[in-house]
Amino acid sequence: MSQLFPKSANKLPLQIAIYLVVLVGLATAGVTYYMTPKYTRVGYAPVQPVPYSHALHVGQLGLDCRYCHSNIEQSGYANIPTSQTCMNCHNQVKKDSPLLAVVRKSYETGEAVPWVKIHQVPDYVYFNHAVHVNRGVSCVECHGKINEMEVVAHAQPLSMGFCLNCHRDPATFVREKADIYNLDSPTIAARAGPEAGSKFVHDWKIKPPQSCTGCHR
Amino acid sequence: MKRKFEHPAPSERELTGPKYWRSLDELAATPGFKAQLEREFPDGASLPDGVDRRHFMKIMAASFALGGLSLAGCRRPEKFVLPYGKSVEGVIPGLPRYFATAMPLRKSAIPLLAETQQGRPTKLEGNPTYAPHGGASSLLAQASVLDLYDPERATAHTQDGAVLDAAAVNALLAKIGADYAATSGEGLAFLAEESSSPTRSRLVAQLKQALPRAIWAEYEPVADEPPLTAAQSAFGQNVKPLYRFAKAKRIVSLDADFFHSEAGSLYYAREFAKGRRVASREDAEKMNRLYVAESGFTLTGGMADHRLRLASSHMLALAAALAVKVTGSSTFAPLAEGLDVKAQWIEECAADLRAHQGESLVVAGAHLPAQVHAIAYAINSALGNIGATVDFVTVEAQGATNIKGLAIAIRANLVKTLVVLGGNPAYNAPADLDWVALQKSVPQVVRFGYYRDETSALAGTHLAAAHYLESWGDARTVDGTVVPVQPMILPLFGGQTEIEVLARIGGLANADPYALVFQTITALAGGDADKTFRKFLHDGLLEGSAYAPVPVAFNADAVSALFAKAAKFEALSKDNLEVRYVTDHKMDDGRFANNGWLQECPDPITKISWDNAILISPRLAREIGVYPQGSFLQIARIEGVESDPMGRENSHVAEITVGGRKIRGPIHVQPGLSNYTLILPLGYGRTKAGHVGTGAGFDVYPLRTTGAMAFATGATITLTGAKMVLANTQAHWSMEGRDLVREANATGPDSYAENPAFVEEVGMEAETPSTIGEEGRKMTPAQRATLLPRGNSLYKTPDFQGLEQWGMSIDLNTCTGCNACVVACQAENNIPIVGREQAIRGREMHWIRLDRYYSDGRADAGAFGGDNNREIPEDPQVSLQPVACMQCELAPCEMVCPVNATVHDDEGLNTMAYNRCIGTRYCANNCPYKVRRFNYFDWNQRQLDSLYLGPVGPQGMPELVQMAKNPEVTVRMRGVMEKCTYCTQRIQNGKIQHKVKTAQAGNPADVIVPDGTIKSACQQVCPVEAIVFGNILDPESVVSKAKALSQDYSLLGYLNVRPRTTYLAKLRNPNPRMPDYAALPLSRVEHDRKNHPGEAHPAAEPKTGREHAAQPVNPTFGGLS
Repeated sequence: MSQLFPKSANKLPLQIAIYLVVLVGLATAGVTYYMTPKYTRVGYAPVQPVPYSHALHVGQLGLDCRYCHSNIEQSGYANIPTSQTCMNCHNQVKKDSPLLAVVRKSYETGEAVPWVKIHQVPDYVYFNHAVHVNRGVSCVECHGKINEMEVVAHAQPLSMGFCLNCHRDPATFVREKADIYNLDSPTIAARAGPEAGSKFVHDWKIKPPQSCTGCHR
Repeated sequence: MKRKFEHPAPSERELTGPKYWRSLDELAATPGFKAQLEREFPDGASLPDGVDRRHFMKIMAASFALGGLSLAGCRRPEKFVLPYGKSVEGVIPGLPRYFATAMPLRKSAIPLLAETQQGRPTKLEGNPTYAPHGGASSLLAQASVLDLYDPERATAHTQDGAVLDAAAVNALLAKIGADYAATSGEGLAFLAEESSSPTRSRLVAQLKQALPRAIWAEYEPVADEPPLTAAQSAFGQNVKPLYRFAKAKRIVSLDADFFHSEAGSLYYAREFAKGRRVASREDAEKMNRLYVAESGFTLTGGMADHRLRLASSHMLALAAALAVKVTGSSTFAPLAEGLDVKAQWIEECAADLRAHQGESLVVAGAHLPAQVHAIAYAINSALGNIGATVDFVTVEAQGATNIKGLAIAIRANLVKTLVVLGGNPAYNAPADLDWVALQKSVPQVVRFGYYRDETSALAGTHLAAAHYLESWGDARTVDGTVVPVQPMILPLFGGQTEIEVLARIGGLANADPYALVFQTITALAGGDADKTFRKFLHDGLLEGSAYAPVPVAFNADAVSALFAKAAKFEALSKDNLEVRYVTDHKMDDGRFANNGWLQECPDPITKISWDNAILISPRLAREIGVYPQGSFLQIARIEGVESDPMGRENSHVAEITVGGRKIRGPIHVQPGLSNYTLILPLGYGRTKAGHVGTGAGFDVYPLRTTGAMAFATGATITLTGAKMVLANTQAHWSMEGRDLVREANATGPDSYAENPAFVEEVGMEAETPSTIGEEGRKMTPAQRATLLPRGNSLYKTPDFQGLEQWGMSIDLNTCTGCNACVVACQAENNIPIVGREQAIRGREMHWIRLDRYYSDGRADAGAFGGDNNREIPEDPQVSLQPVACMQCELAPCEMVCPVNATVHDDEGLNTMAYNRCIGTRYCANNCPYKVRRFNYFDWNQRQLDSLYLGPVGPQGMPELVQMAKNPEVTVRMRGVMEKCTYCTQRIQNGKIQHKVKTAQAGNPADVIVPDGTIKSACQQVCPVEAIVFGNILDPESVVSKAKALSQDYSLLGYLNVRPRTTYLAKLRNPNPRMPDYAALPLSRVEHDRKNHPGEAHPAAEPKTGREHAAQPVNPTFGGLS
């Protein structure tokens, strides 16, 4: 009687084991790559050319966000301040600090200080700061407590799911106009209950887009 | 967890060295690593000395780990934000800025607003402050921004191959001026283009004063303004006509293409549309009527209510015959002798004009001889139109020598130094001058030009010109309004401007073009100089600077001298053909040859892109044996048995001989031409235009001589036997009796006036129950969008909950087919070009296209798929229709997308999520309108001549080309479907701007954008306002009102896809007394014949003039020629 299985079948258990290991390995690698905060760069805190501390300037000295990010209420981009903006104060304060040499040089030559970009959405996403800050969304919702950060770190995933979270339920996240740049302020819903949040959304006719065209062009 | 970092003190390198490699090393802070990084950043190819690879990798790994970044390095590349060192006044990154400028072309200009994105101009729009254009602009203006970023423009000044710096150029120019000052300019000659710039004319006057014996010559290969000699002899003044089409009820065009190739065409098209727009019965009765006699088929002819096919050389006779009938005087009768046009045509046309004294207009083409213009002036004068529908304005007398005069001087060795300012005479000078040899015979030739072209190749010195978007300058529009030419950006390659060159040669102390313009304008305007100039730049025009109309009196006696020289026309035949050189719709005279947007844009009538062709009439095609035998009626372009299997236009190559000069080119059989006229579009066949323009089409200039610049007779045509495939984007020319473009006469039997809702009785909707039911038909568009259920399908249809619902209406009655929308869309939406080879395969990417259909009323049910009537119409009516994505409410494309890449948004847009698309192309297959475009290649990253090389070919987009892209729109990659989005970026930005404004004003609940704030690119450019776009929920919006008109219909509406774009039907206004009167538009005749065969339709029988049905093979028509 001939053999039911060819001789090569002896290797089959081993092969299956290897395939399984590879499969599980790939799955693990996939999950590790795509499903952890690292994928969305949460926690990313590159060292900047100038050790600018938001904790000092905003948290302790109380600078308004808009002093430096001056175009945020008009433009889609939250501008990084020009070196001239830094020099407004630093031609008086700490004007010889070696830490500021880069800024001084940039101010003199006009060459940009190469700030490392932290918050970054893909190129096909058209996020607009102006409309968010003018209509009840505080900086803190996406950027975290910048006013407590020595070095700015990526606080939220800024993934499409993260955006839609708020776009589907704006009432939970909106703030009064006066609180937009106060990163320690509570949301309306947290302070006065969810009805107050819903009322604000209703009164302001806040209807954040949930379809593709809202962000993708 | 709160992060606390102690920053290391910056090293010396950090303070002084390059700034870009500044993250990992600092995080790592390993002393040894730092030392190594003093070197170039290691990339594995050049490793630091003294460290082996293993050790290096260890350090690397350690540094990553220390930084807590681990995989971050391979996840997303590190990017930088680079703010300005010093703040720039007015610049807000992310918001475009707009500056007024103007595009000069010959003796006119188009005032523009340039959109700049942080200093780089990306899009041009018409300047709305200039009322005659109302914010519209033209095809050429839209495309001109691409020239700024053409990598093949002249990027350096050179002399005999060596690069000259700016100082050397200035010295060279000053030396020319100084050298010839001694001889008062003897031996110095200039050849320039025509210009309307007041500054240039001031500098030229100064130059002539300083160097009185220098020759100043001007040459333009094509004429776009009537010859001054006609006005001189008719009125004894240097005046030019300015037509007021809005006031004209009856218009006769004698070979004048005032919608495109004449100066001021933008203004004229716009004014014409005012007399054409119909919203009510009263409008229909007041609608203007256009008679066109022409040899070719122009856009103007396409709009004609009565179109006469007549050779250009016979126009004088027609004008004379018309003058006889209008004025009743027989002065001009001898000129009309032998004219082969039905007498009734002329009589009734004249009677119609006489019945509209003071509100009629006769316009002659700029290329026609002065005699024709003089007769046109005589007719307008006799009809009392002068001062009513046509004004005359004083223009500067012709002070320049022509190119012929210059050629004589060169031949006589009187020219030692020739300065060629712009133009391209080596390519486009009349052939009998033999310019190439002439230019070579001049010892010193200095060429100032934007491209290193045919003329530059023969010149020792080439000076790079600045683009108009890099220049300070000024210009006059066609009505004389002075407009600024403002730079948007510093010259990218250090180019100079024309006025700068002239000022330097003239030895002016200050040759700064800004200062020159400032002097001119402030002297013109007077008053506070700084204030005036600022206002001039801000408004984009000098208020009140338009020419004032001057009173003129027609002097019949003086004119007669002009006619002593009038040439007698000849009868034409196959052996004595007329050739007519026409300004190309896109290339103009050839100056735009290296502009890919224009090259790829199909000609609106022939639909050929990337090529020109010898256009011949079907009659002539039959006689020379290239008539497409046995082809189906609807596809005229499959020629003979060698037909291309893909249905591409495989045309015969022919040779034309005129006066011993020969050229070769492919033949395109064009319905509607004068029988024995060959139409030859200029501007192709460039030999040194750049990658895009070189080799596209064939060059017509070698035929053209000084004596016959616009047309010539005595030509013959012979076939060479060769064949050539043309990139024809619409081989299909018949509507096949369908209802795509719905038409009616304005008045008369079965007309719009009788039945304003005639569109409902045409086409499938008339035969089938309405897809939206009786109730739905009674609803407004807003109600239909929101209330009418969209269901009974497995596919979940969207809820239109958005506060705004977008819609569009396109008025086919005013659309002239100028193609401006096609290129405006391309500029706005980063649409790539695909090149000739891919266009032949039908892969062009335009989001909006213009469909062109012919109908001659002869096709019946048997013609479609059967054997009847396989004839190309000789004298058709043309119907044009812009088609873009209709944004169907029940979009068929969405139902077949396997990955939900195309879905609806809640404002009624059919959206494309590019990054979801996997390229199955099911959506394109299921689209009834065929408006989806697929990226077969990575058009943006690959070069068009190496698409098939794949990864082996060069990759990447030149930085210069990147600068032309609109940052608000994604640049799509290979394998992705795309289509019209209603300019969703403009909608989003418009909404955002409005919400920001109202929120800041303390009125955040006002979220509805006011009507007219958001304009799609095609709408904004449209010279005739045929396209309107807006919120259909607002009953007061312009688009709602347009959609509420009775002649509003949906294209293929019976499919129940419920398109958001609807059309307003086309109306024609024929004169019932004309011999070629058709009581129904011919497309309707075909429609009725196909759908109701055998049914007598009294109105459908054309009168005797067209006699199509009676003589199918060799019909005779109104205008024989």
